[in-house]
Amino acid sequence: MTTQEQYKKRVKELLSNGTVKMVIGYKAGTTADRRRPLFVRTPEEADKLVLDSACIANLSGYLVTEGLLSDEKRVGIFLRPDGIRSINILAAEAQLNADQIVILGFDIVGQEVTALSGEKATDFSELIGSIKEKAPEAPQNPQLEQLEKMTPKERFAFWQAEFSRCIKCYACRQACPMCYCRRCIVDSNQPQWVNTSSHTLGNFEWNIVRAFHLSGRCVGCGNCDRACPVNIPLRLINAKMAQEVLGAFDHFSGMSETQEPVLASFKKDDSETFIL
Amino acid sequence: MTRILLSDKLDNCVARWRKAGLTVIGPVKKETFSSYAAVEKAADVKKETFSSYAAVEKAADFNFEMVMPDRSIKELFFPQTEPMMGYTIKKQDIATEDFKPPAEKRVIFGARPCDASGLAIDDPLFGWDYKDNFWFQRRDETVIVTIACTKSDDFCMCTSLKLAPDSTKGSDVLLRPLQNGKGWQVEELTDRGREAFKEIADQLQDGSEPAAPTAVVAEKFDLDACISWLKNPENFDSTFWKEISMRCIGCGSCTFLCPTCHCFDFQDEGDTYSGIRRKNWDSCSFSLFTMHTSGHNPRSTQSARWRQRIMHKFNYFPGKFTANSCSGCGRCSRQCPVDMGITETLQEISTLKP
Repeated sequence: MTTQEQYKKRVKELLSNGTVKMVIGYKAGTTADRRRPLFVRTPEEADKLVLDSACIANLSGYLVTEGLLSDEKRVGIFLRPDGIRSINILAAEAQLNADQIVILGFDIVGQEVTALSGEKATDFSELIGSIKEKAPEAPQNPQLEQLEKMTPKERFAFWQAEFSRCIKCYACRQACPMCYCRRCIVDSNQPQWVNTSSHTLGNFEWNIVRAFHLSGRCVGCGNCDRACPVNIPLRLINAKMAQEVLGAFDHFSGMSETQEPVLASFKKDDSETFIL
Repeated sequence: MTRILLSDKLDNCVARWRKAGLTVIGPVKKETFSSYAAVEKAADVKKETFSSYAAVEKAADFNFEMVMPDRSIKELFFPQTEPMMGYTIKKQDIATEDFKPPAEKRVIFGARPCDASGLAIDDPLFGWDYKDNFWFQRRDETVIVTIACTKSDDFCMCTSLKLAPDSTKGSDVLLRPLQNGKGWQVEELTDRGREAFKEIADQLQDGSEPAAPTAVVAEKFDLDACISWLKNPENFDSTFWKEISMRCIGCGSCTFLCPTCHCFDFQDEGDTYSGIRRKNWDSCSFSLFTMHTSGHNPRSTQSARWRQRIMHKFNYFPGKFTANSCSGCGRCSRQCPVDMGITETLQEISTLKP
């Protein structure tokens, strides 16, 4: 039985025995290489599910949709390891109760989809630990090295050119599971903290504010990067911040649902005098 | 016999127009920095290009191969951010300064028929109770030379909107690619177009070379059936809206890439004593778009916002200005992070009982 068929069967079971009220997965999209998010509420609808190497979007952001989890019922969701890390962060930041999430874990290696064993976030801690070990060899690192070789002036010019295309559609924010604020700082207009205009200053303000807010929280799923309609390589900014946080604090985001948020916690015996 | 412009004369034409003081603009595709080192899997192939209508210096800068640029033509007439006025408050007086769009004569060579149509669709909107000079000055100073499409992709839907890959709506000149790929048949449509082509008259020639067949764009939905469903007030509260927009993440990508979406917001940048008032693109996808000062939001859910977008384009706008506010370019679906868009919505509506 293929992984897809195995999971379809499991989704039908979960829905018919009432374990979950809904399963969030993927279905076919407009073209052969596209997949659409699918919300399955009846066992029959599970037949529309698709699970293959094109299912790369991190769907965890849908879990924080207003009202979805407030009835305390369980929801199933298809997640790759990065998506499972997102669940841990959302739980650590008190945005959801991880017990309400039934994980249908999978990974993509080449063109193959494999099932991951376990259904609770805690079942995957060993797997996430091994991903942390491999973090220094992340696939985007060669690109980061290329950027590091630039002088600060060159790098500034590089990002200025990249950000010049930004149209402030906020697709990066909306696609990001970590951007769950009911009212984003750019939507606060009394006072207007961040310029809404798409000029050089406004575009820098927006993209840098987002990078800081994601430091130690981004799991590198690439949702922002793929959502950007003008192809700004956004994941590089977040990957750089993740490297910094790993190096400085040995913090790898999404290890567990009790992991302390790196930029929202402190130690009384911190060696830096400015802390306390 | 028709008038023909050969591709190898295009360099001369660009030079001639530029010498006459026109800015020449056309479809340009650039490579961008990829955030991926090695492609691990086919599905992870990052789009590594970015395309738009941009200024060119020579014929080689154009890219006529792509179906259409990522970004629509609208930004050349209605930029994403535009200074409207400046103000300075002193002890005794207040000084204001009105900004005007830069005076610049332009020729856009290689517009797509859907993009050109989009401008014609928005003309009545910008000229309704108040004449928007930021729009019309640019419209008056720009010649639009459209190239008929000989290829399309899965997202193109002009024919469903009763337009075509060789529509002339909004264009000053229509070019039809020659079958042999060596140039275009020239069809001058307006005085503005004839004026611009006078400048390059000696570069044109007579010929009988046939035009290449236009792209085949299948009709994807029954527009009239959709419109009558939308006009039925009972359908305003249909559960359909919730179902279709469940996966919408509420970004503004579809509205900002749309050649006809035209909503904007005013922003004052500066402080109490001096600053600039700007006109910035805004989107009905954003919750802030309709947020009241009190905190009440009449369109508090994403489904209400998506319904507004569809109703506006195919019910309210045609009710006021006769044309639908969609030219069928398909960018909304093509670039949507969750593969939604107007096509899918109208396809679904076509199947519902009116």
